[in-house]
Amino acid sequence: MLEKLVNGFESFLFRNRAWVVSIFILVTFFLGYQASQLKMDAAFIKNIPLNHSYMQTYLKHQKDFGGANSIMVAVEDTSGNIFNPNYFDTLKNVHDQLFFIPGVDRSQVKSLFSPSTRFTEVVEDGFAGGPVIPADFATTETGLNTVRDNIEKAGIVGRLIANDYSAAMVSAQLMDFDPQTGKPLDTIAFAAQLEKELRGKYETDKVKIHIIGFAKMAGDVADGAKGVLLFFVIAILVTAAMVYLFSKSIILTLLPLICSLTAVIWQLGLLTVIGFGLDPMSILVPFLVFAIGVSHGVQIINAVKRRVMDGQSTKAASASAFRSLLVPGGVALLSDTVGFITLLFIDIGIIRELAISASLGVGVIILTNLILLPLVISFTEINVPPQGQPTSDEVRAEAIWRYLAKFATPKYAIVVIIATIASYFAGLEKANQMKIGDLQAGAPALHQDSRYNLDTFFITDHFSITTDVMTVIVEASPEACTYHDVLTQIDEFEWLVRNTPGVESTVSLASVAKKVNAGFNEGNPRWEVLPRTTASLVQAIGQIPTTSGLLNGDCSVMPVYLFMKDHKAETIETVVAKVKAVAAKMDNDKLQFKLASGPVGVMAATNEAVAEAQLPMMIYVYGAVFVLCLISFKSFKATVAVIIPLYVVSTLAQALMTMLNIGLAVSTLPVIALGVGIGVDYGIYILSTMSSKLSNGMPVQQAYYEALVERGSAVIFTGLTLAIGVSTWFFSALKFQMDMGILLTFMFLVNMLGAIIILPALAAVFWRQPK
Amino acid sequence: MSFRILQCVAAISVGCLFSSPSFSAQSERFPQIQPLAASSLVLDIAHAGKQLVAVGERGHVLVLNDKWQQVPTPTSVQLTKVFFLNEKLGWAVGHDATILHTQDGGQTWSLQMQSTEIEKPFLDVLFLNEQEGMAIGAYGLFYRTRDGGANWTEEFHEELLAEEDVSYLAELKNSDQAAYLTERASLLPHFNRMIALKDGRLLLVGELGLVAMSADKGQNFTRTGFDYDGSMFNAIQLQDAVYVMGLRGHVFKADLSLAQWDEIDMPVKSSINGVMAASETSLYLVGNAGIVIQLNQDDSSSIVTRRQGENLVSIAKDNQGNVWLSGSQGLLTLKP
Repeated sequence: MLEKLVNGFESFLFRNRAWVVSIFILVTFFLGYQASQLKMDAAFIKNIPLNHSYMQTYLKHQKDFGGANSIMVAVEDTSGNIFNPNYFDTLKNVHDQLFFIPGVDRSQVKSLFSPSTRFTEVVEDGFAGGPVIPADFATTETGLNTVRDNIEKAGIVGRLIANDYSAAMVSAQLMDFDPQTGKPLDTIAFAAQLEKELRGKYETDKVKIHIIGFAKMAGDVADGAKGVLLFFVIAILVTAAMVYLFSKSIILTLLPLICSLTAVIWQLGLLTVIGFGLDPMSILVPFLVFAIGVSHGVQIINAVKRRVMDGQSTKAASASAFRSLLVPGGVALLSDTVGFITLLFIDIGIIRELAISASLGVGVIILTNLILLPLVISFTEINVPPQGQPTSDEVRAEAIWRYLAKFATPKYAIVVIIATIASYFAGLEKANQMKIGDLQAGAPALHQDSRYNLDTFFITDHFSITTDVMTVIVEASPEACTYHDVLTQIDEFEWLVRNTPGVESTVSLASVAKKVNAGFNEGNPRWEVLPRTTASLVQAIGQIPTTSGLLNGDCSVMPVYLFMKDHKAETIETVVAKVKAVAAKMDNDKLQFKLASGPVGVMAATNEAVAEAQLPMMIYVYGAVFVLCLISFKSFKATVAVIIPLYVVSTLAQALMTMLNIGLAVSTLPVIALGVGIGVDYGIYILSTMSSKLSNGMPVQQAYYEALVERGSAVIFTGLTLAIGVSTWFFSALKFQMDMGILLTFMFLVNMLGAIIILPALAAVFWRQPK
Repeated sequence: MSFRILQCVAAISVGCLFSSPSFSAQSERFPQIQPLAASSLVLDIAHAGKQLVAVGERGHVLVLNDKWQQVPTPTSVQLTKVFFLNEKLGWAVGHDATILHTQDGGQTWSLQMQSTEIEKPFLDVLFLNEQEGMAIGAYGLFYRTRDGGANWTEEFHEELLAEEDVSYLAELKNSDQAAYLTERASLLPHFNRMIALKDGRLLLVGELGLVAMSADKGQNFTRTGFDYDGSMFNAIQLQDAVYVMGLRGHVFKADLSLAQWDEIDMPVKSSINGVMAASETSLYLVGNAGIVIQLNQDDSSSIVTRRQGENLVSIAKDNQGNVWLSGSQGLLTLKP
């Protein structure tokens, strides 16, 4: 039935081949134009698992307390001392400039120059205080000395001023949406503006500008992602050279490359059509599409070439290659697509985008490389030496196939299977130690020595603040902060959590109220307590404005900020576990401690979402591959023989992650699904040739040998092509691309080995010869 | 704005009708021993014989062995002072009118008194012998024991009231007994520190320029000729000179007659909380803004160190010769 359908399809297409090719050309022009309109796009909101309970808390209180999307600009004086007129002029300019950059929440811009930066001091008859930078400030020596005194009184050293007075901070919160236009903030444009308006204008020999925050990171990632173009060119050139070595024909080299590039153009164009941008995270997809396209194209040209060598005309050979490869190629590509579609189940925006853009791309390959390619080839005339004396290459290949075919004999099969089992269990132990989350300090997407990470390290070294903040939101009833027992519980919570490894310091309304109470008592530390009387408590709380971020308008919500040592997954897990344990004992009708906000709160949610998604994703992707194999082979044994090598290789890939210190994160989670989806191709190509021969009673070794002769070189070639396509990422400016590159290269190569070594060994066991 | 007034308002709103101390045990939901106890707010260090014992926030008590080790206590309120009569017997006092007692050099503690109703902290404790002791605190809080702390009774030191307050109280006592008690509870200044001079007289310093002397074990105090209005937080005798010190870096010196106090010029304007004899002829003063000052007999002084962003409250030397500071960052050694 299927055969009839394919035959009908073939004769229709080849009869109207000029029309069909013309349509392809038109569509390519249209989508090529669309692709040229494609924009880089990175939004904070896409990176977080919105439906996770932490993120629900985060979103609920984002308006009152700002989110995790902040920007910090440290202005450093390279002399190591900020108290000079030139520096203060620059700092003021930076403050004013940041204030006016669209997208900045102007009420949340904080620095020495913001009016909310005040000092108070205790004098004999009460308090004295004022803005740290007085209204009549001038950059004279007296003026600077006054500011220096005020800075110490204001207690802002470490936050707004570096501990060694070598730098000062200007910080701001960003809005996710432009309040005037209602459009989402263009993070990458914003980052470019920071670079131009701040660093471009104000960085000199004397003053250095260090900028960190999600927006800046996204901008730097986007910049790094642009370097990918070079890798793309390299990948094309290397692939071209390989295809030429394989086909020994310029025309057979160019056509699969052109068709694969067409697939890339279609994929990028379709992204614009459906209204997506290209996220730096998804920039790997064009590579994958190209590499997968080439590998299927190679199967086609291999088949055509073989048939031409057998004496057929190019047109007949193309049509016959089309017929024989449409089903196995289609099944393989479908299982790739399904592998990607399973990623849609993960509740993180960018992974879904990756899933959609990758499945689009792979779907497109069915059209461009399984249909268009044979059609285009049929217009050409391929000259190959007619069948005669085998060339030395063929003799060598034949020796290799003979050698490989031994894996399909019981004797060798046992050895291979035992080795496979051994490496599986060795790998499993390592794989179980695989870490979740980002394992490096700084921005994990970027290299440790990138400008952004150096800026991060500068700020964490010179200031007491860190971007590794997790916020626990305390939800209570209105006016809750006027009750001694409420604040006492928050205070106790804060103290217990501070005593957790990984928490460096904490702050909450309770701990600040204690200090204010000491302030009301002549600054005497012996009064650093929460006063029992409501009047004294209200008096202390009254000094703390809502702009401090410690309470909302009616003080029904009071965050506890946890400043953490780093954002490694283990650190986050330890702190989250402690918060949950303490909260479980303290939560009651009046008071709940809820996770989480702040950058590390977002990471905690992401880590949990990623960890939770891992198992279902594997089940879906393997389930899909299983069903597809079962449909195409109609054999349980064949299906199992394809899937076992895949599974062993995924386990080994996880072991590799442990060994290379690569954590399971948003960027690496899709890799296994991609690796399985694509890795299954090899097995399908080999077994689809074998299975009909096996069911006709041919011995396994012979069937495997014939499969190798027909498709072995193409399979090995495919593995190498794919590996080359992604291995160029090893040199990427972006750490996560490097990680993905390493893992995908491993998956592609080792899956190929699995298909030509483990698969025949399994087949030898499954289709044992009756004695 | 005067915080003195604000505190009075706060205290009046509830009043002080305390008669018998009530005892409350600390909740046992979470362990009191925590890794950061030695690096959170520590308010006093005292010698138990040769050993140092420190007290701080959340009822923390720490004992210095090779390093500071936290020991459990029956309270979680802030402890403000600790006093040891000898290497075994000690008392610690704090907020919620708490008095703790140890008989084993600070290893175990029992509660002698605690009352949330009093709503005033004890700020110092002094024992003259195993039986007789006094605990003093905010708004003239004054409790005395004659049985080693088994029973504590309140005393009101009317003699330290300002003159106009005396007549005001006398009037009120006749007209409105309840209002009289309420007012009385908040008219006296904070008693911050009481020390025994070498001749046995007691010197009491406190809020609003209170510097008073008692020659009868604290039954009656008389104000000395001290005419600065700010609070004094500490006092010490060095040879034949008596020093008091407090708000905004004010330090005064008098001879043993305590008749005339001369102000000593200080290099900083931060409040001074703690003091220790550095040698026969010099003192170490510690205070807010992380200052440690050496003050010599000839009134010359120098800043030893300034720990930015910290408040230092107490200073003591251990038997190895290390000088320990305590304050907002807990216990740390003074690096000369």
